Amino acid sequence: MSQIATNQQPVQTPKKAKKKRFTFEGFTLLKWLIYLFFFVFLLVPLFSILLVSFTGQPINIFGSFVSQKIFSSTLKKLSEMSWDAYAAIIQGKGYFAALVNSLELSTSVALLVTVMVLPIAYAFARTKMPLKGVFAALCTIPLICPTFISSYGFQLMFGKTGWVNHIYRSMGGDGVLFDVQSMLGIALVQIFFFFPYALWPMVAAFKISDVTLEEASQNLGAKSWYTFLRVTLPLAMPGIVSSMLLLFTVSFSDFGTPIILAPKDLNLIVVEAYREIAGFFNWSGSAVLTVIMLLVAAFFFWMQRLVVRGKEYGTISGKPSKQKLNDHKGALTVLTIYSGLVVLVPLLAAGSVFLSSIATTWGHHALPDGYTLAHYKTIFSTSYQNIVNSMILAAGALVLSVVVATFVSYFVVRRGSSGLDFVSSIPLIVPGIALGIAMIQTFNTAPLQLTGTALLLIIAYTIRRMPYMIRSTMGSMMAIRKDIEEAAVSLGASPLLAALTVIGPLMLPGIAAGAILVFVTVIKETSISILLAPTDWAPMSLAVFQNLLRGEYYTASAMAILIIVIVIILQAIAKKLAKDHLY
Amino acid sequence: MGSVKIEHLGKVFNGVTALEDVNLEIKEGEFFALLGPSGCGKTTTMRCIAGFETPTSGKIYIGDRDVSQIPANQRNCGMVFQSYALFPHLTVFENVAYSLNMRRFYQGGFGTKMAVLANLLNRRLGKVNREIEQKVRDALDFVELGQMADRLPTELSGGQQQRVALARALIMEPAVLLMDEPLSNLDKKLRNVMRVTIRQIQQKVGITTIFVTHDQEEAMSMADRVAVMNKGKLVQVDTPTALYSNPVSQFVADFVGSSNIFTGTVKDSNDGQTIIAINEQQVLRSAYPTGKKDVEVIIRPESIRLYTEDQPTTNDNILAGTVTMSTYLGPAVRYDVKVGDLQFEVDTTFEGGNPLLAPGVKVKLEIDPSRVVIL
Repeated sequence: MSQIATNQQPVQTPKKAKKKRFTFEGFTLLKWLIYLFFFVFLLVPLFSILLVSFTGQPINIFGSFVSQKIFSSTLKKLSEMSWDAYAAIIQGKGYFAALVNSLELSTSVALLVTVMVLPIAYAFARTKMPLKGVFAALCTIPLICPTFISSYGFQLMFGKTGWVNHIYRSMGGDGVLFDVQSMLGIALVQIFFFFPYALWPMVAAFKISDVTLEEASQNLGAKSWYTFLRVTLPLAMPGIVSSMLLLFTVSFSDFGTPIILAPKDLNLIVVEAYREIAGFFNWSGSAVLTVIMLLVAAFFFWMQRLVVRGKEYGTISGKPSKQKLNDHKGALTVLTIYSGLVVLVPLLAAGSVFLSSIATTWGHHALPDGYTLAHYKTIFSTSYQNIVNSMILAAGALVLSVVVATFVSYFVVRRGSSGLDFVSSIPLIVPGIALGIAMIQTFNTAPLQLTGTALLLIIAYTIRRMPYMIRSTMGSMMAIRKDIEEAAVSLGASPLLAALTVIGPLMLPGIAAGAILVFVTVIKETSISILLAPTDWAPMSLAVFQNLLRGEYYTASAMAILIIVIVIILQAIAKKLAKDHLY
Repeated sequence: MGSVKIEHLGKVFNGVTALEDVNLEIKEGEFFALLGPSGCGKTTTMRCIAGFETPTSGKIYIGDRDVSQIPANQRNCGMVFQSYALFPHLTVFENVAYSLNMRRFYQGGFGTKMAVLANLLNRRLGKVNREIEQKVRDALDFVELGQMADRLPTELSGGQQQRVALARALIMEPAVLLMDEPLSNLDKKLRNVMRVTIRQIQQKVGITTIFVTHDQEEAMSMADRVAVMNKGKLVQVDTPTALYSNPVSQFVADFVGSSNIFTGTVKDSNDGQTIIAINEQQVLRSAYPTGKKDVEVIIRPESIRLYTEDQPTTNDNILAGTVTMSTYLGPAVRYDVKVGDLQFEVDTTFEGGNPLLAPGVKVKLEIDPSRVVIL
């Protein structure tokens, strides 16, 4: 018999659609804990440094909540807010010079790198250049070296007693090639150590450009250089512009290079901020500089997003067209020599540091006077504690990052929490030195007096690296199909238990790879370490820095090499883990 | 315990109505298919039963229990996913044992809980429970995968993965078994085998089973009853044969097999039969009464017998037409026949040797009145 489904008006039972389900309460609590973490350790510090930049005096936000007295004093300070510091900058006084210098530096670095890298990117993407593999491997050196070590390497090469200048003088030159302790020196280090940031996006941009358009142009009778200028280059333009903006931000927030190479009379915004806080405890000045740094970084970050979003896939066509690779003999020779020279510079700088680490003394001649392993012995005896500190701090940041990042990606990917996605990516635009200053200011006094503790250091590291960690956990989270989780639930597991027994183990390779990278960047980290680390928790990077300041160059070199070796090993492991996704 | 009742089920996704007033009663032990085109709400209905979606309105009962507010992990619904959703990091054995371990986790004390967790995270840490081991072995033998216990799901063929998914769902002795397009990931040959296998297993276990499919052949060949859905509503719930021979709407007729569908005018309806004029010249007799004047007429292509002009017919319910095209399909021949200004599809069995009728040949279409459905 046929039953016809009744089609009467449905009986409406308009329950509140947004009724939260009781079982997910444990998760909801977790989510708010994570929000609280970012609120306390990121948003409040940034907000309070903004206030300080107007009041000119330190403000205790957490104190204002617990103590009536602090609250009224905070109110009083807030009533005295003024635009004076900003007005001075606009009028060209105060920190105006530092801002201009920094902008000048970052702009020239971004432009020069782009010009320098353009032929190399073209060679990688569109020619049969030999030694591509070797060059690519050498290109990882700049990314492995922390910039303050690279700068020191440049000093060893181009300083007054540097070996390059020894060779220069032996060839009849006089004095030095150029003064490495200058804007030029800083720019050169940044150029040669940041160029991979631009190289790979540009290679991708050249590869993407539609070859059929180029062929069409050549068909129409255009010469190949004309085709390159009028067709290939414009098509690759969005990629190039985006990497330029990225370079600008990286150069602008770099602390390691200027702190080693900036002479006393050169004002750069990061150095100035550091000097104000570390030298004079000038809250007002450092706050203003922090806010400016943030605004500039945020602006360029936003611009980059804009460029990428608009054009990225503009010319990708569905079918992968086979690209004809340029194999013109003369062009290849020129490109190979040129690329080889560029990638050789970072290698030479790192090699100089290594040579210095095994030199008895170095500086009288182009080569060291003798060789010894004594400096390594020294660092393992006297600086042993720094190595241990680094390991503990990095491990702490690793654990904290894993926990926070895993849950953040769970909420973002599975529960569509765009709020957490936004909050957790804020650190992308906060230069390390800015985050450090904001944290010192906020946690300087009771009730949350954390400045000078290892805990705050670990939290700062964690927050700084959070966006990168989340990117890696989010990737592996998205690779896990939703129905796997649902299968676990249908088999009787609560959502939390399903996460623990199914999602967790499946995410493990991704988490592990991301965690190692956090560990690596913490060991490399300069700005946060120099600003926040108390003496008894000084990590390796701070030890290198202090040794350099004290003139103990050889031990500094040995420690720097140790850092580089640890970074290389861990990065290789992370790479292997990320590749070996078992499933 | 195993019956399912759905009352006035409704679901709205961001202002879009996915389900509207769905009412269903599925008997204990029944093999029930939800059939419809994609986006018709069949999967949403199943996910509401499983507890993965919260209905906007309505109630769902499993047995006598109102499960509408009960979370998915406490509903005791076994589910076989379209992609099987086997846990890729666990062996076949561990996949099948998962629900038993979960049960142990919730029922056991702290020590048991830790042991279960340890066992799930690393099989060397925890001891496998004897009772569970035996049950899993039996379940794997039942689906003929006893040899595969220690393999990872990725090392199995599609059909084997399917059987693991089935064993994993059945071992928890669920009140209802839910299957979401269980055969869509298999190739055609394996699909036919698994159709029989699933049906046999279901009969042996005697479990109430609901399965979602967009393939009418699958639904018709496996299910005791089929619910046809369209645009979030139930259109017809019936046995496969009734669904085929007495579709309640043009949509059902069209979705369940191919049909000749056209409009006609009722000339006379009495004595339990109806005379319909289908175009100016010709009339057709149907064995069903109707009260309407203008009707839809549905005739299955294989319910028509085709005769050439000189052949005798067995009844007088005949339309005259001309062949316009003949298509040879192997066991059958399909003729397109023009009757007045209407186009008919007629399926005849291929009897060997006979050449096909050429276009232009005049034919008679003889139709059994009991197979002329009017709406």
